[in-house]
Amino acid sequence: MAASKTTRNRSGAKSARPREWRRFKFPQSIYRWVGVLLALVFLSYSIIYLNIPLERFLNMFGRVSTLITERYYPPEIDYVMETDYLSSVFDTIQMAYLGALIGMLMAVPLGWFGSYNMTPSRRYVYPLARLLAMGARAVHETIWAILFVTILGFGMMAGVLALTMFCIGFAGKLFAEEIEAIDMGPVEAIRATGASDLSVMVYAVFPQVRVAFTGIGIYTWDVAFRAATVVGFFGAGGMGWYLKRNVLQIETTRVSAILLSIIVLVLVSEGVSAWARERVAKAK
Amino acid sequence: MTAAEAIASEADRIIAARSKAKFAHSLIYIVVLAVAIWCIKTTIIDDTDWARLGSVANVLESIGEFLGVDWGLAATLWEPALETIMVATLGTLLGVVVCVPAIWFGALNITPYAPVTYPLARLMMTLSRSIHEIVWGLFFVAAVGLGALAGVLALAVRSVGFIAKMTAEAIEDLDQNPVEAIRAVGGSEFQVFIYAILPQVLPTMIGVIIFEWEINIRRSSILGLVGAGGLGLVFFRQLNTFNYPGVTTTILAVLILILFGEVVSYYVRKAII
Repeated sequence: MAASKTTRNRSGAKSARPREWRRFKFPQSIYRWVGVLLALVFLSYSIIYLNIPLERFLNMFGRVSTLITERYYPPEIDYVMETDYLSSVFDTIQMAYLGALIGMLMAVPLGWFGSYNMTPSRRYVYPLARLLAMGARAVHETIWAILFVTILGFGMMAGVLALTMFCIGFAGKLFAEEIEAIDMGPVEAIRATGASDLSVMVYAVFPQVRVAFTGIGIYTWDVAFRAATVVGFFGAGGMGWYLKRNVLQIETTRVSAILLSIIVLVLVSEGVSAWARERVAKAK
Repeated sequence: MTAAEAIASEADRIIAARSKAKFAHSLIYIVVLAVAIWCIKTTIIDDTDWARLGSVANVLESIGEFLGVDWGLAATLWEPALETIMVATLGTLLGVVVCVPAIWFGALNITPYAPVTYPLARLMMTLSRSIHEIVWGLFFVAAVGLGALAGVLALAVRSVGFIAKMTAEAIEDLDQNPVEAIRAVGGSEFQVFIYAILPQVLPTMIGVIIFEWEINIRRSSILGLVGAGGLGLVFFRQLNTFNYPGVTTTILAVLILILFGEVVSYYVRKAII
């Protein structure tokens, strides 16, 4: 449309083309393109390296829908209403509660040692506490469950310990971040009276982070419950064992019923935790 | 009533309120503690086979079996570690693609038809977040067979919930003027999304995606347990052949991988945002 139109560039001379505007100037644009190109090369290389059958990916949708409609569809609700299963659900809730509680109690000192502004020693204790929290968080909860089952045998104790490790990592990091964000005024005031590190913690830091810690604690329980639904998969107690048994026996309608019950329970726990956190925040 | 009496009654009221709050707090503590003790009783004391567990020395002995590093295995861990990273990356990217409709439908201010599409998107997010990656892995192994593809799909589906939820919340808080501007020139719903909303939420979204990538490395390191390759498969093999130092070595490799992921995500975040 603008074939006959000409525009003026900054010097005022007539030019045949409109001036081109770019968001990125010369060197940055090259860096960006090289970055995008490298990412694409990595992606295509990983598709080749992992031997991903793309044609299977394309007809996957049909297969997933037949899988759902033919095998998983009428979920056997009666199965999840049996007392055996319901008592395992109850066990799972207890495990999550206990794991979250113990994990949080252990995460409080870890958060203290791992917060840069309050740690007793920045050179030794701080990196150690950070490393511990990272290690507990980095190892997946199922790996913890397998390890504890190997050491302690089947049963809920292994599950509780696995969830404890998971919660230590999860809450330890959040606690440390919360302590790093406090107001340092009260800390200096208490320090000026010659108080020890512990008294500074009790009288200057805890009153400031109490409410946030409670909120994090409730959230930790919520997350721990989600993890607790599968630690039983590896023999650590709770409803995961029922899931594994039915998966291995290819009782697909029962599996879908169990999955539905997990979804409902997670929704309920999310609702409870949101309500409790709101109450705690209001009580501040 | 004199001023002094008013102050005194006010002070009484505050003291009463405080003691009431204190009572409520101690009640909560007592309930929490009582439930904890009861849980310890039922889950740990009653459920554990103490005879099989044996003495503390036995437990320490079985922990001691895990100490040590299998250097021969450590040299072969490069390939599974690379696989783990690749599965995590592909899974995260596929998750981003899948979550675009979930974001579009799941933000209240741009959802095309709120009574239908909004609950649909919320359902997608809840499904993705509440089902554990192990279960998703099993499901996709049944659907597409053993191999990395099942892991990629499981991670993609599992990532949708978090990315979509955070991004949809960012969209709900965004500046409405560009949206109106694109609507005023006759842009379709999709064009509004691409030209007015995406540029505003992209920084948040990229931050969330990088964070999710870090989490996905952690997740993909266990997907081998259900048949999706990577470090999880090595872990499983070492455990089943009772090579406990090898198990420790694999876990250390996972730790190093995650440390690497944290470092990379720190620099990428700095470079992009």
